[in-house]
Amino acid sequence: MAERISYSFCESLRNKQAEAERAMLEEFAAGVYTLEQPYIRLNPYLINPLSAAVAFRTETETAVTVTIYGKEERGNIVHTFPKAKEHILPILGLYGDHANRVELRLYGGRARTITIQTAPLDTEVPALLSMHTEAEYLGKELIFVTPSLNALATAFDYAGDVRWHLTVPVIFEMKRLQNGNFLIGTERVMQMPYYMSGLYEMTMMGKIVREYSIPGGYHHDEWEMENGDLLVLTEDPGYETVEDVIVLIDRKSGEIKKTWDLKDCLVPGEGPSGGYTPKDWFHNNALWYDSHTNSITLSGRHVDAIINIDYDTGKLNWILGDPETWPEDKQKYFFAIKGEGDFDWPYEQHGCLVTPNGGIMCFDNGHYRSKIRERFLLNKDSFSRGVLYRIDREEMTIEQLWQYGKERGEEFFSSYIGNVEWYGEGHYLVHSGGIQYYGEHASEKPAALLQGDPNVRAESITVEVFRGKVIMEMKIEGNFYRGKKMHLYHEQKNMPLGEAENLGKMGVTPEFDTLIPMEPCGELLPYRYEAHLTEEEDRFVFKAIFEGGQLVMLMLEKEGEEHGYFISTSKNKFTALCCGTFIEKDPRNITLNVNKAGLSGTYDVRVIVDDKKYETGIRITC
Amino acid sequence: MLREVTEDEFRQSVNEGLVLADFFSSTCGPCKMLSFVLADVEKVCGEKVNIMKVDFDKNKKLVEEYEVSGYPTLILMRDGTELKRMSGLQQKPAIIRMIEEA
Repeated sequence: MAERISYSFCESLRNKQAEAERAMLEEFAAGVYTLEQPYIRLNPYLINPLSAAVAFRTETETAVTVTIYGKEERGNIVHTFPKAKEHILPILGLYGDHANRVELRLYGGRARTITIQTAPLDTEVPALLSMHTEAEYLGKELIFVTPSLNALATAFDYAGDVRWHLTVPVIFEMKRLQNGNFLIGTERVMQMPYYMSGLYEMTMMGKIVREYSIPGGYHHDEWEMENGDLLVLTEDPGYETVEDVIVLIDRKSGEIKKTWDLKDCLVPGEGPSGGYTPKDWFHNNALWYDSHTNSITLSGRHVDAIINIDYDTGKLNWILGDPETWPEDKQKYFFAIKGEGDFDWPYEQHGCLVTPNGGIMCFDNGHYRSKIRERFLLNKDSFSRGVLYRIDREEMTIEQLWQYGKERGEEFFSSYIGNVEWYGEGHYLVHSGGIQYYGEHASEKPAALLQGDPNVRAESITVEVFRGKVIMEMKIEGNFYRGKKMHLYHEQKNMPLGEAENLGKMGVTPEFDTLIPMEPCGELLPYRYEAHLTEEEDRFVFKAIFEGGQLVMLMLEKEGEEHGYFISTSKNKFTALCCGTFIEKDPRNITLNVNKAGLSGTYDVRVIVDDKKYETGIRITC
Repeated sequence: MLREVTEDEFRQSVNEGLVLADFFSSTCGPCKMLSFVLADVEKVCGEKVNIMKVDFDKNKKLVEEYEVSGYPTLILMRDGTELKRMSGLQQKPAIIRMIEEA
């Protein structure tokens, strides 16, 4: 049988970027490029269309100041690079569909202004609805948002202009590192709905410096320790339960050095929130390491609580949340409300953080706003907010010091995502990233499951408050997991060159224990299923369209060895879609990711559909 | 013995010893897969438990009576009293563990 289903090999983004960088450096090396006639390469790392590399040589070592001219003067972005003879400079903050003027000025010497024409921005850039900020306030910093639906990671300036955008769906927390790079989740889904293969350490140019693969995958949040090691939210690679494991990853090797399983300090099913499921019983959506107490603070959406565990032992220190419905033996971990001031507990909260003086902040989504089913509020009747609590760990008391958002009610309500940032006492950012309306009121269902419905309207509001006054408010179309303020440039290497490191390892994809006893029928998987297999260096991705109710299993077979991967053709019931970026509009579209880890040799790929085992004509070597 | 039962057959057997009821639908892929899983489970636990398959679409009275909201749903009962239930497709070890713990 010579035929096979549709097949392609996809090079990793890491390798594609390395190839692009090599070509760029070769071109630069082969030419005579000067300040007057510099080498210019738009989007050198393929995924940031608002970036460019400019390169030239000078006879003597000199520093270079780059000015990316704004549409008005206060939109200028300026950065000075250290002295050198060979200047390979990252240009960041270009406008889309614009003849960008960029000045290159030698230290104490001559200057040259070049023009860099960019293409129009793609449709995955979020539409700005409004930006209100003080003229001098935001300065050269941008507001970054990361995806939750279709629109991708983007950053806006004070005027609401897009100055940074990535064209691949890297997701969740964008965490700036001590070396100026940032971490973000890869675009490679391991398990639906959003368990990713790991993390990229990336520059603002979009270049991957390191890729960390993690056996249980990555979701929601990560943290850089003082020595550079990484705390990452993950799960057991078997996926029997999810979002309940934390790992410490060696920064240099990518190996796992320590693991915390929250089932060791909590009992699944205790203190459940309205969105609780037995599999996603905790739903860990944030972590924060506190060196003062050598502890990790975690946000468990599906227990309506922020918990704190000891870093060394993993033992539970305290629980911040409504103590109702929790069993007696856990009550000693809860705080008692102190005083008569305004106070609300957080419900299904996100994005917890610890302030420098030990305060606890979070985005209190307020989803259901009760632990008692009979008292659950509809989304349209609830509120979301940023909140700051003061906790006394000795007296086990809690006070609410500040909140923003309750007064805005339904208009600011985000049932499923959001975060806060602490910039100083009285200076906070509150990102209500998951505002969803269905018709006139807040939607009671996730927008990711209502794609294409004209009644759905998704918005994101990011607010910065300074001493009680709103100094910035940005409203954009779509939902965005997190929002934060950052500079494009930093004082370290903004454009490190060389191949990215590939660290850590992928997990073994869980197989189905029971295999379907069936002989191959010898026929090719029919074309009506539109099947396609994409092979990557460390896994393959099988996509097809099946009818609901069909029995489907992908098989890897070689002599004496069979591996079966069940493919559900039922509509998935995702209850907590913090990132719906990868949800297919048509539930008949299925995707199965199989890692090569744990497999060895060359396998025939076959697919069982109901009572026939079909050939795909593809062999995979692991 | 693993078999599909009618409502009458179900009622005749449900109060006798350990029973595993599988509420399934013929229009559901995971239910079809569960049939193969249960066939394997029976090989291990067949003498200990009576596995009865109940068609969700043909036995609405039982569906209502046992408050089954979706399929597949497994309900483990002893002498007619529910011990545990599982929703969705399950793997063999989890089902065997449930039966052995009963």
